[in-house]
Parts: sequence; C-alpha cells; structure tokens
Amino acid sequence: MDVFATNFKTIDWIIVMVYICIPVAIGVWVKKYVRQLSDFIVAGRSLKLFIAIATLTGTELGLVTVMYNAELGFKHGFSAFHVGVIETVCILAIGLTGFIVYKLRALKIMTIPEFYEKRFNYKVRVVGGVILALGGILNMGLFLQAGARFMMGVTGYSNPAGLKLFMSVMLIMVLIYTVLGGMISVVLNDFLQFTVLSIGMIIGSFYAISKVGWSNLLKAPEAADSASWFNPVAEGSGFGAIYVLFMVVLTFSAGALWQSGTQRALAAKSPKVAKQLYAWSSVSYLARRVIPMLWGICAFIFVSQTPKLLSAFQGAGALNSQYGMPIFMAKALPSGLLGLIAAGMFAAFMSTHDSYLLSWSSVITQDIIAPVKKSPLSDKRRLLITRICIVSIGLFLLFWGLWFEAPVSLWNYMAVTGTIYLAGAFTVIVAGLYWKRASSTGALIALFAGLLAVLGIGPWTRGDNVPFYLSDKFIGLATFFVAFLGMVIGSLLFPDKPSHQSRTEIQEDNK
Amino acid sequence: MNESWQLIWKIVLIFTLGGYSLLAVIVFIGGIRNIIDMLKDLGMPLESPEDKT
Repeated sequence: MDVFATNFKTIDWIIVMVYICIPVAIGVWVKKYVRQLSDFIVAGRSLKLFIAIATLTGTELGLVTVMYNAELGFKHGFSAFHVGVIETVCILAIGLTGFIVYKLRALKIMTIPEFYEKRFNYKVRVVGGVILALGGILNMGLFLQAGARFMMGVTGYSNPAGLKLFMSVMLIMVLIYTVLGGMISVVLNDFLQFTVLSIGMIIGSFYAISKVGWSNLLKAPEAADSASWFNPVAEGSGFGAIYVLFMVVLTFSAGALWQSGTQRALAAKSPKVAKQLYAWSSVSYLARRVIPMLWGICAFIFVSQTPKLLSAFQGAGALNSQYGMPIFMAKALPSGLLGLIAAGMFAAFMSTHDSYLLSWSSVITQDIIAPVKKSPLSDKRRLLITRICIVSIGLFLLFWGLWFEAPVSLWNYMAVTGTIYLAGAFTVIVAGLYWKRASSTGALIALFAGLLAVLGIGPWTRGDNVPFYLSDKFIGLATFFVAFLGMVIGSLLFPDKPSHQSRTEIQEDNK
Repeated sequence: MNESWQLIWKIVLIFTLGGYSLLAVIVFIGGIRNIIDMLKDLGMPLESPEDKT
C-alpha cells in the first residue's frame, strides 16, 4: 500500500474550496460592525452563553490541537487520555468556582496584562505583555507546519514543496478575514466552524472505529508495549508521575489564563456567563483531547496491521509521527466525507489561528506599544497597529514553521512554550487577586522566571546525541515552582507602598 | 491492572462521544439565537457623551 494513497478526490477539493471562502466573506460582511476597539478585540463584550461556548470550543479545538493530540494517541495509545481527563476536571473546577475568570471579567479588562497595571504598576504590565506575546507567538510557531502536514497527509500531496505551498495559502486565508473583521468575524466563524467540526468529528470517529474494529481498539497492538499503552504512569509510557503533575499545573493555569480562551470570558456578557461558559465547555475540552487521540490510536492500530506503513514510521528517515493520523484518515474515510472532514479541520485551523493572532496582536498594541507611547493613541490608530501586528506575526510564523522541528513531540513543544507565559501569569494573577501582600517586585520576578521554560525546547530535551539530558516536563514543572517562589520571596522582601492607587481600585471592583 | 485502565478509558471514550454530540446540538440551537441578539446589539448607535449626562 502506498503511504500517501488517499481517497481525497476532486469533489473533496471542491468542498474544501467552497468552505474556505465563507470565512473571508464573513470577514468582509462584519467589517461594518467594527466601530471601536472593544468591538474588534472583545466583540463589544456582547457574547451570550451558547455563542461563547461555540467560540471558546472553536478556538481551543484547532487543527493543531487535533494534530498534537492525535500524535499523542499515535505514540502513546490510551494512556494519553489522562491529559484530557485532567484538563476537563480543571476546566470544570474553574467553571463551578469561578476561580480567576469571574473576578477578571468583573474588572472589565480587555487583556490580561491590563490587570497587571490595575493591580501592580505600569512596568509589570509592559514586562507581562512582552512575555505573554513572546510565549504566545512561540507557542503558535508550529501551527502552520502542523496544519500543512495534515493537509498533505489527507490530500496525498507528498511533494516536499507542498509544505511551503500549503503553509502560505493557509496563512493568507486567515490573515484576510482576521485583519478585516476582528473579534466579531472570529466569533461568527468560530460558530460556523464549531458546527462543521462537531459533525465531522463525530462521524469521523465512528468511521475510524469501524475501520479498525471495536474489539481491536481496546487491545494493545503488537507493535506497542501493552502496559504503557493504557497506564500513563507505567514505565516506558513516555509520561510518568512528573509529567502527570506538570499536566495538572499546566492545564489548570492554561484553562484559566490562556489569553485566547480568557478573551472569551472577558468578552462574555457578564461575569456569571463567563463562569457558566467554563462549566459547559468542560465537555468540549474533553472532546478536543479524546477524539483526536482516538483517531491517533486507530491510526497506529491500522499502521501496525500494514507492514509497509509500519516500516515508513520506523528506523532512519522515518516519517514524522504527526503524519500518522492524516494518512490513516485519508485511507479510512470515503471521498466526500473526507472533504467534509478536511474542510472542518481547515476550519479548525483558521478558528484557532485567527483568535491567537488577534490575542497576541492586541496584547502588543494594548500592553506594550500603547503604555510605552507618551501621547495617548486613538482607537483608530490602535486598530491600525493591531492589524499590522497580525500580519507581522503571520510572516514570522511562516518562517519559523519552515525551519523549526519540535524536539520531542508537538504537544510537548506547545506545553513548554505555553509555560513561558503561564508560569509567571498564573502566579501573578492568583497572588494579585487573592493575596493582599503580593507586590510588583514579586510579580516581576515571577514573570521573568517564566522565561526559564525556553530551556524546554532546547536540543538537550531530545535525549540522544546530546552532552547532557534535561527532560522538558521537569523544566516545565520547575519553572512553575520557581515563579511561585519568586512571587512569594519578592513580595515579602520588597513590599509595595500601601497607598497604591490601583490596588484600591481592584479591591473595590472585587466587592 | 491493565483491565482497570481499559475500563476507565472505555467509559471516558463513550462519555466523550455521547456528551459532545449532545452539547453540539444544544450549542447549535442556542448559538443561532445568540448571534441574532449580538448583531442587533452591535448594530445599535453608539452612546454619545451627551447621552450619558
């Protein structure tokens, strides 16, 4: 069997082409509703519960999410499910208690660093904004690459130039409608994409299961280790206790504070809706992990039953494991449905990409450029800067995605680059909201401590042919710990003056 | 030991497929109504400073 053989036919291309024109049309149509900056960044804070759930799911269930979770399932089997279960419990806990998100929404801020200035000072806001943008942009650095690999696997386009071609076309499509319509366009597209994606994911799952058979699915394939296929803390699973602990800290902090997700809470109609949004979305957070992992598991079972495919993924010059799921789907799904799934995945790619572009560019405008500028910036000027940032980030992603390869796995790359921002932000925001003695010096130390996570994407995390080995999960977990310690020690040694104006405002707002 | 893990993941898988299908239907129906409301809200004229006084 040819590795890149596919059921993707002309009809599938037509479905994809027609589908990707819709978001651009929506971007052009909603441009008339964008009259002020808050319309562009938080859709005028007008999101009600169900549309907020759709847009949060649309954002957090991107093609890159599908790819990294499928890769986890492909490499580690059912034991990867633990990440989904941990994340779901964390999101549900945030939704039920309103921890962090309720108070942030009540403060009526547009970005997280805005809180830093309200609670601490201007310096914390700018430093926090720079680190957030750095971590966030690096985090989305491989989105284009993963998206292009999916499209190549599904369409069977194995020409090496295909990666560049797919990456460029996908980027241009997203840039057009994000630059035009901002958050309103993003919300409407997220809803459309949520619908298409949900149908595609459910039908695709049943096809994937039927291809390998339910009884085969629940058995460890011969090519895998049967103990670690199911048990995440078993030796050889690639996870272990430190990894599980890192996932608890990471998914909890990301659930509450990942800018693109939190932006949905900040755009919610009220703090109560922000809280409900998380409780309801816990199911879609579970789905965004478990369903792609299921596809990855089915892909591995299918590959392990086909010697030629199995050999393509083993030994020197092996195919990247990210190709496992799309190559399987290209063979398992019939033409037509494959086009719909590809369109849905492409939609997922766009819905995540647009939100992330909007999030990081609004942080650069609102929290780095605007505070540093001496004269106040008009809304019109801020909109222009935000749009320029969107295009600039897009170009960076194109170059980064073309030369950088994730050292361990796509998800590990996402986790450690996310930690650059999350370790500091989680500590600073929790302390800022719930600890009266938290000081701006402590906040700055915690934010800078987050930069330690950059070590987690270095070559020493590969474990082979390196002079010393440092595990990325250990680096990630240690970064959170150092940030926490920095916040506590910095605040106790260097307290702020008690008359700080902004702190009084926060306490008033929180009453 | 493996049997317990197998059972847990089987339950998680069935719950996910069932729960997400249900959520998708509820959100689709509710979301359409929310979009109409949102566009109505955003289409309203902005408050001028005089209106606030």
